[in-house]
Amino acid sequence: MKYKEFLYDEIGNKYERKNLYILELARLYEKLEISTNKNEIEAEIRELKQNKDKHFYNIKLKEYKNKEKEFLKKLKEEKSTYSKSLGNSISLKMKNLKVDLFAAEKKQKFYSDYTGLTYDAEFAYERNKIAVNQLPDIIEFLVDGEEELNQLLNEKDNIDKENENKVKIDIKKFKSEQKQIIDNGISRIKSMRKEGRISKRAEKNEISVLKKKYKQAIKIKSFDLVEKSNKESIKAKKHEINVKLKQKLWVLKSDIGDLKRKTPIETDNTRPIMPYLTFLLPGLGQLLNKQYMKGLCFLIASLFIYLIAIPYALGYGNYQGDGIAGLISLAQDGMRIDKSLIFLIEGILAIFLVVIAFVAIYLSFKDLKSVEKKKIEGIRPNNWFETSKRIKAEGFPYIVSSPALFVIIFTVLVPITTAILLSFTGMDPKHQSKFGWVGIDNYKIIALGEGLAGEVFWHILLWTVIWTIAATTLAIAIGFILALLANNDRVKGKTFFRSVFILPWAVPAFISIMFFSIMFSSTGALTEIMFSLTGKLIEVKSNPTLTRIVLILLQGWLGSSYIFLLSTGVLQSIPEDLYEAADIDGATGWQKIRHITLPIVLFQTAPLLVSQYAFNFNNFSIIYLFNGGGPFNPTKYGNLAGSSDLLISYIYKLTMDNQYQAIGAAITVLISLGLMFFAFIGYRNSKAFKEERL
Amino acid sequence: MKIFKRKNKKNLYLSDMQPLNFVGKVNLGLIYAVLITWSIIIIWPLYQMIVSAFNGVQGKYLRLNDKFEFSLKHFEYLFNETLYLTWVKNTIFIAISTAILTLIIVSFTGYAYSRYRFKGRKASLMAIMLIQTIPLFAGITAYFTIHSIVSAVIPAFSRQMMLILIYAGGNIASNTFILKGYIDSISPELDDAAKIDGCSNFQIYRLIIKPVARPMLAIIALWSFIGPFMDYLLPRVLLTSPGSYTLAAGLFTLINDFRTINQPAFAAGGLLTAIPIVILFISLRKQLVSGLAQGSVKG
Repeated sequence: MKYKEFLYDEIGNKYERKNLYILELARLYEKLEISTNKNEIEAEIRELKQNKDKHFYNIKLKEYKNKEKEFLKKLKEEKSTYSKSLGNSISLKMKNLKVDLFAAEKKQKFYSDYTGLTYDAEFAYERNKIAVNQLPDIIEFLVDGEEELNQLLNEKDNIDKENENKVKIDIKKFKSEQKQIIDNGISRIKSMRKEGRISKRAEKNEISVLKKKYKQAIKIKSFDLVEKSNKESIKAKKHEINVKLKQKLWVLKSDIGDLKRKTPIETDNTRPIMPYLTFLLPGLGQLLNKQYMKGLCFLIASLFIYLIAIPYALGYGNYQGDGIAGLISLAQDGMRIDKSLIFLIEGILAIFLVVIAFVAIYLSFKDLKSVEKKKIEGIRPNNWFETSKRIKAEGFPYIVSSPALFVIIFTVLVPITTAILLSFTGMDPKHQSKFGWVGIDNYKIIALGEGLAGEVFWHILLWTVIWTIAATTLAIAIGFILALLANNDRVKGKTFFRSVFILPWAVPAFISIMFFSIMFSSTGALTEIMFSLTGKLIEVKSNPTLTRIVLILLQGWLGSSYIFLLSTGVLQSIPEDLYEAADIDGATGWQKIRHITLPIVLFQTAPLLVSQYAFNFNNFSIIYLFNGGGPFNPTKYGNLAGSSDLLISYIYKLTMDNQYQAIGAAITVLISLGLMFFAFIGYRNSKAFKEERL
Repeated sequence: MKIFKRKNKKNLYLSDMQPLNFVGKVNLGLIYAVLITWSIIIIWPLYQMIVSAFNGVQGKYLRLNDKFEFSLKHFEYLFNETLYLTWVKNTIFIAISTAILTLIIVSFTGYAYSRYRFKGRKASLMAIMLIQTIPLFAGITAYFTIHSIVSAVIPAFSRQMMLILIYAGGNIASNTFILKGYIDSISPELDDAAKIDGCSNFQIYRLIIKPVARPMLAIIALWSFIGPFMDYLLPRVLLTSPGSYTLAAGLFTLINDFRTINQPAFAAGGLLTAIPIVILFISLRKQLVSGLAQGSVKG
């Protein structure tokens, strides 16, 4: 890259270069492009570059820089002596402002000699000029404000106690007078009401108006107390000073920001190399660019990277594992107490930490690169005032979502990653503390239906699908029909029916399921009723078919409430005229339901109905709490599962009771993939997702 | 006039609906029959539960009993012999913490996703939604170990806190979606007006959005509050000592563990747990359903 002849700011304004050396170079490069005599100009450029330090402009610039250094050193001392001379009697705010003004005046004077030499000096000059213009005003405001405040504080100390007591008595008198007035008013209104001249509502309103008036009058009167009014005034004054001072400083900073945008910057660089040199330590580059606060923020990220993420990934500071290396070894050749599972999870944690570290490095690198590129163009880097303004505006969504991200990583992403990785290991009852990678063996076992844990998979999947479809459809049908019947205009006692029909949903499901389980046990109430009806002892819980039927019916009982509520809501919102129009066209009752009610209800509740199917697919509690997945049928289902087990309760038994964690994880992964596939299709087609406003 | 009025009053048909013919009357009767039958089907088991809880004749195992003797001995057993009150305390602690945590996190994300157009917004929303279709269940193997790793660093991190985090984490995506949909319906002009008056982003949320979105926030809080009362699985996996159980896990020990089995006490405990929730649900029926419906229609 070459130097350009002119500098440009953010909105494309053109500026002359002040750095004559670079200007000369830029012109030579331009000549090179159009000239036929390339060799000569190249030689010229080379010579110019070789004699860079001897170039008259560079000599001047160096001189200026030395002087500036000296000046700043001197200024620092002067500032501290000045600040000491101000003494301790004035407030800290005032002191800072005065010192700032003092420094600004000195700087303005110093830089005024060099404005023609470089844009840096010009910027410093103009910046301090603004400060010199505005700071006295601010200081004056603060002086006035503090004076008034002091006056008020003085008054507070010199309150005339005697007078106060007098006023207090006065107020008491005033209060009783007012009370008299209000009582009279109220009795007048009440008598008016008795005579029937005003309504009850008007009476109430009038009385409340009177009471309000009374309260206000008392409050206004109470400010006759000097103590109280003084306290109020001090509070107000303090607030005023704070807010206005902030406002004025904000104006000052914004003006400086404007100036910054209008003043270009010149740099010797033609290529943004700094980001590449400092990318290993986020923050360093920003500090070198004099963006101190931003640099500090990135340095904190650096601390995280070098003190937490990388050591953890290398295995230091682990609970038991070995960082990322632990993921590969899985504690195979570790000590006896080392557990493969812990190695696995710590490896995953390490990976997440490293990913966060990389994100920080990338962000810093990108930020620095864009700043450097802009600098080459001629755009001055933002100061902290502007950066923080920008972060507040654009970074807001990222900042407020970060707690959510943290919780999701911790409770959702890490466990799910663990499950995925676990499904490729050989964690089974014989390999609890130490297990290795086995590739896709677990999936093979499931697909081919082999082994103790795999052979029942297809049976259970079949029952799960039957259960999902039957139980959900039954609940939907019951709920919808009930809603339709209860919505009939001629039915009385709707509130009663609706309150009753909501009960199965309102009573916590685990309670009703457990209670049904009790009633279906061999001595339970329902079993005895069936015995007296049929004369035979029917034990539901030891008969697979009956258990399944009862489970489906039970889910119909439990799930219909929710559907009932949903459909009732939709039914009530269907406009009456649709039915009237159908009546005029001679539609029968069934036709009205078939062509008006059903489509509207189904369309509006479709997503919820779909989620009901997903819910029942994973309905662990009803299966587990009703009969523990039983009854057991070892010839068909082996020893691990019962005949009413769903995939989800089978996974629970595999992982929690029988320690086949790896196969359980593999089945989980398969289920999740299936559910995600359906969900993805659903969300992608949903209207809300396609619209921009999502 | 008077005579005319009196004469016809009995025959006057005052309803604005057509009078029913025979088939109509039979239909109406059938409708009542169905509604009443279903009411009985719902009420009978619940009635059984109430009766067994108060029936002093019942022993450890519940059976159909003609005799009824009013007694509070099952409640006494529940309070004196079991850790029922501890379970209530645990559940309420977990439920409140979950609700608060969810509210804090979700009100920010819902606001951000509704009002800001930022890079990765759509993709992240889609990713979270998909990830959340995976049942919370998938992580059961990991939860335990993650807890031991974290508690090695922060010893105060208890299993119950882990449970709270899991509940809150599992709720984020769907609740963000619900709240986002609700905030979308609040006119952005309100925000703009506040911005012109010099409000910061936080102030806009606190002063403008939060008051308007309060009904939806209340529903989200309520759902997250009720969740821990209903869930059985995670407490069972994560909590190991009866002293830290929630209601669901604790009550289950009264019917499945032969050492502690006492079915009437379970009925009593279930009754006590259910009553406040039932009252809550019936009185807030419409709001709860509208909250659900909103989330799904938008989703």
